[in-house]
Amino acid sequence: MSAGRPPFLPGLWAPHPRMTSQTRARPRQRACSTGRPGRLQRHLSGEFDQLRDFPIFESNFVQVTRLGEVANKVTMGVAASSPALELPDLLLLAGPTKENGRLQLFGLFPLQFVQLFVHDESRWQLKVKFRTGRAFYLQLRAPPETRDREFGQWVRLLYRLRFHSAQGAVPFTQEYSALEDCDDDEEDEEELELEEPPALDTRLDPQTSVLWGL
Amino acid sequence: MTYAYLFKYIIIGDTGVGKSCLLLQFTDKRFQPVHDLTIGVEFGARMVNIDGKQIKLQIWDTAGQESFRSITRSYYRGAAGALLVYDITRRETFNHLTSWLEDARQHSSSNMVIMLIGNKSDLESRRDVKREEGEAFAREHGLIFMETSAKTACNVEEAFINTAKEIYRKIQQGLFDVHNEANGIKIGPQQCISTSVGSSTSQRNSREVGSNSGCC
Ligand SMILES: Nc1nc2c(ncn2[C@@H]2O[C@H](COP(=O)(O)OP(=O)(O)O)[C@@H](O)[C@H]2O)c(=O)[nH]1
Ligand SMILES: [Mg+2]
Repeated sequence: MSAGRPPFLPGLWAPHPRMTSQTRARPRQRACSTGRPGRLQRHLSGEFDQLRDFPIFESNFVQVTRLGEVANKVTMGVAASSPALELPDLLLLAGPTKENGRLQLFGLFPLQFVQLFVHDESRWQLKVKFRTGRAFYLQLRAPPETRDREFGQWVRLLYRLRFHSAQGAVPFTQEYSALEDCDDDEEDEEELELEEPPALDTRLDPQTSVLWGL
Repeated sequence: MTYAYLFKYIIIGDTGVGKSCLLLQFTDKRFQPVHDLTIGVEFGARMVNIDGKQIKLQIWDTAGQESFRSITRSYYRGAAGALLVYDITRRETFNHLTSWLEDARQHSSSNMVIMLIGNKSDLESRRDVKREEGEAFAREHGLIFMETSAKTACNVEEAFINTAKEIYRKIQQGLFDVHNEANGIKIGPQQCISTSVGSSTSQRNSREVGSNSGCC
């Protein structure tokens, strides 16, 4: 068995050959913010001892091109590596394997090296951008009745992360130049302005609130 | 698919030595010359067959840069095997081995099996580190050693699988407590571990490592 690589890491926009066969619909899972562990959380508790106890907020997405064509399924989550943290510090990406469609963790990225944007709110699309320049687009996959609420949780999260990093994130240094930055289209992103920073005391402890009060 | 054991591996070493390419060659049997800089950890997994047992390798490919070094340290925990990689065409990557090894030893279980890998053996004309130097370093520090090429796939299977064999040998010798998850070993789902590890020849459906190809 081989597990494959994240579809968004190699190449440009060619959907990953392993992943495209998995784009058919499967029963929808609710985000774990509803109290029930999500698929990603369950996968981690099975095989990733170290990540097992992290509080995780996760949703199912499909990767889309900038123009909205659907590529492959992705489950994205944010996790806090310590319950003492006020906000998540890790981004987790997973997708189904070609062999059996089971969820497989592809990557774990410190959130300080990742930026999240709202790409198209009307289509529940986020943009995930790595500090290396690599970017990809994800469209939330959720039942119509909970989609807006779930997307809203991501938007709130993204605001908080941005506010947090504006307060002094670690600058990113790299040895390679950001060769991949050609499709850098940040100008046309709907980057949300930070008119009013959320008050500090609204940032909740994940232990006392369900996952950072999202 | 079910497995008898899951071994966690971590791949470490300087940026650009070919860690991500080695993993891709092992899991997907292909070489991708341009690979994105790894940030954080990328995962790969593959089933191997050791002594008739299905073993799942869960591989953590880490970022090599200095700015990620403190993050990488936290991922050593619970690794049963480490592939410590340098580039035979860049001496500085060999010179940094000591500091990688210190990190690894300090942050992992003392039983962790470490495989030293001199990668890019296809670039013989640009060789900057002699094979004997790699061998000597490995001997001095108690590591297994191989030269590999992620490009030609030479010794890639062997590097991953020989590491698993060594871990498996340690399990059989009772050096690894398989119930202590800090050792980077998990017993597969629905496995009865009271049966002795060893000579079962069932479950032969995964790729077996060929006998030493001797390509490098
Ligand atoms: N010739 C040759 N090039 C390699 C080999 N392995 C990796 N490379 C190249 O080395 C560079 C860095 O590889 P990568 O896997 O990203 O290194 P990492 O930073 O250690 O993950 C890439 O340009 C690869 O094409 C190899 O075995 N032979
Ligand atoms: Mg890499």
